[in-house]
Amino acid sequence: MNPSNGNGSMSTASSSGAWDGRDQFPAGLRVLVVDDDPTCLMIFEKMLKACLYQVTKCNKAETALSVLREHKNEFDIVISDVHMPDMDGFELLKHITSEMDLPVILISADARKQVVMEGVTYGACDYLIKPVRIETLKNIWQHVVRKKARNTV
Amino acid sequence: MDRNRLHNQVASMRRSLFDQLEELQDDTNPNFVQEVVTLFYNDSTRLIQNIEQALNSRPIDFCKLDDYMHQFKGSSSSIGAKKVTNECTAFREYCNAENAEGCIRSFQQVKQEHAILKRKLEVYLQTVRQASQTA
Repeated sequence: MNPSNGNGSMSTASSSGAWDGRDQFPAGLRVLVVDDDPTCLMIFEKMLKACLYQVTKCNKAETALSVLREHKNEFDIVISDVHMPDMDGFELLKHITSEMDLPVILISADARKQVVMEGVTYGACDYLIKPVRIETLKNIWQHVVRKKARNTV
Repeated sequence: MDRNRLHNQVASMRRSLFDQLEELQDDTNPNFVQEVVTLFYNDSTRLIQNIEQALNSRPIDFCKLDDYMHQFKGSSSSIGAKKVTNECTAFREYCNAENAEGCIRSFQQVKQEHAILKRKLEVYLQTVRQASQTA
């Protein structure tokens, strides 16, 4: 599996199934981050790793989707940019929500209300505006827990 | 003495230029800021050229312009380049209004701020190189 943008610095998600990170919670959270902008992708990866998450990065939505399809149970959460050339974040979001039960966070430099509304309406569990600060990423585990809690009801 | 001075210089430049990036650099990735800066430098130069080209073509494709500028705004804001980001926002308003003249004028501002930023980045990268040579 090599979805990263060619520089080989990709960490693979664990294949042990569901993440329950008891002791080091939320360290080890398995994140897939998607952004076609190389600067942003590099910064996200670093920030997520600084949060002690397990990070896989992709610079194309299509690639991200095939990675998710092939490794369904190896990710806890997806973070995706909205504005991408091949398939945008909304489309990716729609695929993920219909095919898998993963929380998706959308990210964009576009703060317009109607765009945020669209993201939320289509099922994004959060919509973050760039520049994203690391403090925000430290809290994303709550979306995973919330979804799991809802599913067990 | 020279080495320490250079290293201190690099550190204080990093702090003043990229406050959040500076926090991300650590022992496991000591060249992080340098790598991101280099990446942004090259990528943003490419984007500026694309925008310039799009502005020079007739008729102007405002959709494409908006696309480029959106991406440029995203990466500029991510590395903490506030002035460039602000000029990008102004540009996008003219773009949305399909105001060609406004776009052209606003783009001059974007280019200017980007040029200033580039110079700062060049000095930073140069100082980093010098510091590593004396290490």
